[in-house]
Amino acid sequence: MQNVNAINSDFIEQEPKVNYLTNGFTLKSWLLTKDHKRIAIMYLITVSAFFMIGGLYAATIRLELLTPQSDLLETGTYNKVFTQHGVIMVFLFLIPVIPAILGNFLLPIMIGAKDLALPRINLLSLYVYWIGGALIMYALMQGGVDTGWTFYTPYSTTFSNTYVMAVGLGVFINGFSSILTGLNFIVTVHTMRAPGMTWFRLPLFVWANYATALVMILGTPVIAITILLLALERLGKVGIFDPAIGGDPILFQHLFWFYSHPAVYIMILPSMGVVSELISNFSRKKIFGYEFIAFSSIAIAVFGFLVWGHHMFVSGQSIYAGLVFSFLTMVVAIPSAIKMFNWAATLYKGSISYDTPMLYAIGFMGLFLIGGLTGLFLGSMGLTVHLTDTYFIVAHFHYVMVGGTVLGYMGGLHYWWSKMTGKMYSEFWGKISAMLVFVGFNLTFFPQFILGYQGMPRRYASYAEELQVLNIFSTAGASVLGLGLVMPLIYLTHSLIFGKKAPANPWMLPGLEWRIPSPPPTENFESTPIVTWEAYDFSEENGLDLDEARRRDLAATV
Amino acid sequence: MQSNSWVPLFPEQASTFAWQVDYLYFYLILVSVAFSIPIVLAIFYFFVKYREKEKYATPDEIHGSIVLETTWSIIPFVVSMTIFLGGAVIYYNQYRMPAEAMEIYVVGKQWMWKFQHSTGQREINELHVPVGRKVKLTMTTEDVLHDLFIPAFRTKADVVPGRYTSLWFEATKPGKYHLYCAEYCGLNHSGMGGWVYVMPQDEFDNWLAGGGGSNQTPVEAGKELFMNKLGCASCHAAGSGQRGPNLTGVFGTDQKLTTGQSVRADEEYIRNSILNPTGQIVEGYQPIMPTFKGQVTEEQLVSLVAYIKSLSGNAGNTGSMTTPATTGSSSNSNIANTTVPTIPKADRGNTNSGLSSNPNAPSQTTEQTNRQR
Amino acid sequence: MVNVNNMATHEHDDHYHPPGLQHQFEDMKQQEESVSLGMWAFLVQEIMFFGGLFTAYLVFRSRYPMAFAAGSNHLDAFWGGLNTLVLIVSSLTMALTVYYAQKGKRMAQVYLIIATMFFGAVFLGVKAIEYTDKYNHGLVPVAGLNKRTKATSHSETNAASAERPTTQTNLESQEKNSLPAPDTKQTKDQTAEHAYANPRGEFQWEGKNFKESSEIILEAQKKNYLTQYEKVGYFTNGELDQKKVRDKVLIFYWIYFVMTGLHALHMIIGLGLMTWLLWKAWRGSYSAEYYSPVEISGLYWHFVDIVWIFLFPLLYLLGRHFLHGGGH
Repeated sequence: MQNVNAINSDFIEQEPKVNYLTNGFTLKSWLLTKDHKRIAIMYLITVSAFFMIGGLYAATIRLELLTPQSDLLETGTYNKVFTQHGVIMVFLFLIPVIPAILGNFLLPIMIGAKDLALPRINLLSLYVYWIGGALIMYALMQGGVDTGWTFYTPYSTTFSNTYVMAVGLGVFINGFSSILTGLNFIVTVHTMRAPGMTWFRLPLFVWANYATALVMILGTPVIAITILLLALERLGKVGIFDPAIGGDPILFQHLFWFYSHPAVYIMILPSMGVVSELISNFSRKKIFGYEFIAFSSIAIAVFGFLVWGHHMFVSGQSIYAGLVFSFLTMVVAIPSAIKMFNWAATLYKGSISYDTPMLYAIGFMGLFLIGGLTGLFLGSMGLTVHLTDTYFIVAHFHYVMVGGTVLGYMGGLHYWWSKMTGKMYSEFWGKISAMLVFVGFNLTFFPQFILGYQGMPRRYASYAEELQVLNIFSTAGASVLGLGLVMPLIYLTHSLIFGKKAPANPWMLPGLEWRIPSPPPTENFESTPIVTWEAYDFSEENGLDLDEARRRDLAATV
Repeated sequence: MQSNSWVPLFPEQASTFAWQVDYLYFYLILVSVAFSIPIVLAIFYFFVKYREKEKYATPDEIHGSIVLETTWSIIPFVVSMTIFLGGAVIYYNQYRMPAEAMEIYVVGKQWMWKFQHSTGQREINELHVPVGRKVKLTMTTEDVLHDLFIPAFRTKADVVPGRYTSLWFEATKPGKYHLYCAEYCGLNHSGMGGWVYVMPQDEFDNWLAGGGGSNQTPVEAGKELFMNKLGCASCHAAGSGQRGPNLTGVFGTDQKLTTGQSVRADEEYIRNSILNPTGQIVEGYQPIMPTFKGQVTEEQLVSLVAYIKSLSGNAGNTGSMTTPATTGSSSNSNIANTTVPTIPKADRGNTNSGLSSNPNAPSQTTEQTNRQR
Repeated sequence: MVNVNNMATHEHDDHYHPPGLQHQFEDMKQQEESVSLGMWAFLVQEIMFFGGLFTAYLVFRSRYPMAFAAGSNHLDAFWGGLNTLVLIVSSLTMALTVYYAQKGKRMAQVYLIIATMFFGAVFLGVKAIEYTDKYNHGLVPVAGLNKRTKATSHSETNAASAERPTTQTNLESQEKNSLPAPDTKQTKDQTAEHAYANPRGEFQWEGKNFKESSEIILEAQKKNYLTQYEKVGYFTNGELDQKKVRDKVLIFYWIYFVMTGLHALHMIIGLGLMTWLLWKAWRGSYSAEYYSPVEISGLYWHFVDIVWIFLFPLLYLLGRHFLHGGGH
C-alpha cells in the first residue's frame, strides 16, 4: 500500500514547500502566468467584482420598484440600470463564472493533467475578458446604455442615443474570451486525460464543461458577428437590419437568439456539473445513472441550438415555425428532468452530510425544479402569449440563472475553496448564508411569478398600484438575498487570513483533485497519475485510507 | 378571481381566451405540483433518513437502472406533449383572425397607442370596445418595436415597424382593464399604456355617438379624400374614362392581374395599390397610377380603405351616427415624419414564414421615421 | 486490486526532452494532437462566425436576386478571379512549406514562406485596387466614405479630389457649404448635363449602373420571376424607383464589404502569422520532430483560402448570367 500515500494523512503532514500561490509573488508572476490555477484566481477576482456591480444595479432596481411610481430614478435612468444589470450579469458574470473560475481551476486536475492543453490561449482569454469588460465599464461610466441586454433593432441601431456601440464591441470582444476557453476545454479533455482516465471515468463536472465548451464554440461566434453587424450599422447609419432600406429587424432577433438561447445552457450546464459532483460526493455514493447524466448534458447542448424561436412566439413568426419550436422546447426539457430524477435517486441509501456545499446543491435542486417547470409554462405557446415580456419571464430566468447557476457556483466555490486557497471557511456561517440565500431568493422571485400572471410587464419603471404588495415582498426578499450573498464575501475573505489550514482531502473523497495537496503545486501532480478506478468510487479499494482519516479527525477534536 | 383582494393572484377574466389560458395555467400548475411533490418528498425523505451516521461511510453502490431511466424519460415526455398540444390549440385560436370582426386600427409610436374605430372615433391610450363582439386590432408602428398587451384578455402581439400584425379578442365582461406596451421601446416605455373600457353594446353605441372624439367616420373622410382631396375619382369613379378600374363593388372580389395571377381585393391589396400602384396591375390597365406614398397618412389610408370597402356594401359595423365634422385631431405627421410603414398586413399563420413574416414587408418602409440622434 | 492507485510513474525527467515540447505535455505526439485539434476547433468557430454572414447573404439574396445580380456585375470578376488564382497558388506554397518543415529543410521553408507571404500581399493589393475603385465610383455603402465629387467636368473633378482632405475633416462645414442655394443649384444644373456628382460621398447607384440594373429587373419582370419582395421593393409609379433599387444594391454592397473586409482582416492576421513563422524558420526551429506551428498556421491559411473560394462565386459570379444573355 505504499502508493496510496498520495491521499493518506502522512502525506498531509509533509506538504510541499512551494504551491501555486507561493510560486512567485511579483505582479509579473501573476500577470504573465500560464498556470491555469492562477488564471482561475484572477478570473475569480474580476468576475466577483462584476458580480458586485451587477448586484448593486439589481438592488437599485428593487428599490425603485418599491413604489408604483417612478420616483427614485428617472425612467431613462431606470432603463439604463436594468440594461446594465443585464449586460453585466449575463456577459461578464453568468457566462464566464463557472467555466472560467471552477472549470479553469479544476478541469485539468480532475483529468490528471498538469495544465490545460493551451495555457497561453488561456491567459489570452483572460486578457480578452478584461479588455471586453473594461470597454463595457467605460461605456457605463460615460453614460451607459439603455437598449435592454437584448439590443433589439431598430431601437438599438437607430433610436437609442446611448453608448450602444461601445457596449456592443465590449460584448463582441468578450465573446472571444468564452470561445477561447471553450476551445481550450475541448482540446484538453480530448488530449490531456491521464492514462486510464477513460471518457466514462471522467467526473460529471468535466462532462458538463465539455458540453458547455461545444456550445461556446458553436454559438458564440454567431453572436459575435451579429453584434459586430449591429455596431457597424450604428457606425455607418445603414445596414441590413434597417427596415428603411429593405433590411429586416427580425433577422437580428433570429441571429441573436440563435446564440443567446444556447447561452442559457452555457450558464446552466456547468452548474449542473457542479451539482452532480456535490450530490454524489456528499452522499458518498456513486452517482445514479452516470451515463444518462453525462449524455443528457450533450443532448441539452445539441437540442439547445434548435429552440431559439421560442423567444419569438409573439414577434410575428409563422404559426407553424412556432409549433416546431414549441415542440422542441418540450423535448429539451426531458434531459433536464432526467438529471433531476437521477440526482434524487443518488441520495437513496447514501450517507448524506449536511455541509454547506450540499445545502447549496439541495437548494439548487429545489430552485431549478421551479425554474425548469415554469420553463414548461413558457414553452407552451398559448400561455406564452400571456406570459412573455412580463415578470413571469423575469422570475423564470432568475430561478434558472440565480437559483441554478449562482447556487451551483456558490456550492462549487465552497466545495473547492479549501483546495483553491488551502484554508477552511467557516462551516457555521456557510450554512447560515446558504439558507439565507435560499429563503431570500424565493421571497424575491416567487412573488414575481404572480406579478407576471397579473400582467406586470418587464422593464417598467412604474406599475399599477394594486401590485405594490407583491413588489414590497420582492424587494424585502432581495435584501435578504443580498445579505446572504454578501456574507460569503466576508467569511471567505476572512478565512484567507484566519482560516484553518485545509488538509488535502477534508471529506475523504476519491476525485483526483483531492489526491493532491491544498493548495496544489504549480504542476498539480508530482508525476502523471494512472487512473484505475471508476468515478465516484468511495470504497477503500481505490486508495482512500478512511481509518487514517478517522484517526485524523479524532486527533483534531482532542 | 377578482383583482380586488389584498394580494391579487389572477387578473380578471374578461375575454373568451381568459378561461382557456387560465385552465391551461391551472393544468400546468397541477402538473408541476404533481411532479414536484414526489421529488421534493423523496429528496427530503432521503435527506433525513440517509443522513450521515458514521463519518466516511461507504454505502453500497447502486449503478442505475435502465427501467427507471426509461420510465422517467417517457412519462415527462408524454406529459409535456399534452402541455404542448394544449398550448398549441390556444395559440392557434388566438392568432387566427376571425372572419367577421369589428376592426380597430392601432398605431404604436413612442410612447402612445393610437386607436381608430371604423366609425372614425380616435382615441389615444384608451380603447372602448363593446362586450360580446369579436374585435380585431390591426396594428403597426411608426418607429420601434412595441407590443400591445391586455392582461385581462390574456393576449398580446408585437407591433413591428414595416409590417402589419394583428390580434383579436372577444370581451366578456364590462369593466376597465389595463393596456400595456410589453416590448421595450425606450425612454417612456413604462408610460406607454392606458385602459381598455369594455361596455355593453348599447352603452358603447352611445359612447360612439356622443363621447369620443367627434369626427367624420372613416367612410366619410375616405369619401372626401377620394372625391376631392386626392382626386382618386378622376380615374377610378364610374364613367371617369376608365383610365383606372371602377372601384364600385370591387372589394372582396378576385381580380385578375396582368401577370396572369389573381388576387383577392382585400384591405392589404388596396393599401398596396395606393402606395405601390404598379406592384399588382389589374388586367386591362396600364401601370400609370402615381404612388401616394408620403402623401397620405396612415389614418387617411385607413379612411380610404374603409370608403372603398363601403363601395361594396361593406361599410363595416358603423352604427347610426351623426358626427359633427370637426378635425383638429392629429394626423400622424405632426409628431413623426410623414412616413408611415406601409406594409400589407400579415395575419399570423397564413402569410408568415421563416425569417420575416410577410414577403412584401421590409422593402416598403419608407425613409426611416424619426431618427432620434 | 491492491496496488491500484500508484501515482508515481512516467518520470519523464530522465527522458530525452525534445525541442519545443511544452511543460504540460508528456510527449510530442500529445502536443501535436493538442495544437492541431485546437486549430481545428478554432476553425469550426470561424465557420460559425462567417456562417452568420453567409446566412445574412442567403436571406437577402433570396429576397432581392436582381439587385444582387446588378451589384455583383459591378464587381470585377477579373480581379476576383486573379485573386482566387493567387490564393490557390499560395495554398500550394503553404502546403510545400509544411512538407519541407517536416523534412527539416531550412532554406526551402524560408523561400516558400516568403512566396506565401508574397501571394498574400498580392491578394491584399488587388483587394485594395478593388476597394479604391468602389471608393471612386461611390459604391461604398456608408455615406461619407466615398470620393466626394462636387464638380462635373474632368478638370473640376480633379480639383475637387485635390481638396478632399480638408472637406473630409470638416464634414459639418462642408455640408453647410454645399447645402445653401447658390452653390447647390449650379451643381444640380451641371448634374443634369454630366453623369456623376457626389458632393457628400454617398452611395450612388445612378446613370449607367442604374440603367443596367433596370434592364435586368424589367426583363425579369417581363418573364415574371421577380420575387415577392422585389415586386414591391423596386417599383414606384410603374417605373423603377431609383432610390429603392439603390437601397437594395446598397444591401449587396454592405454585405460585400463586411464579408470581404473580414476576410481581408483574416489575411492580414495570416500574414502576421507568416512573419513569425519566417523568423522561426530562419532560425531553424522546425524539424521532423517539431513542426506543428507550421502545420497549424498552414491549416489557418488554407481555411482563409477556402472562405474566399466561397466568397468569390457568391459575390462575383452568381447572377452574372442575368446580364449576359442567360436568364430563364
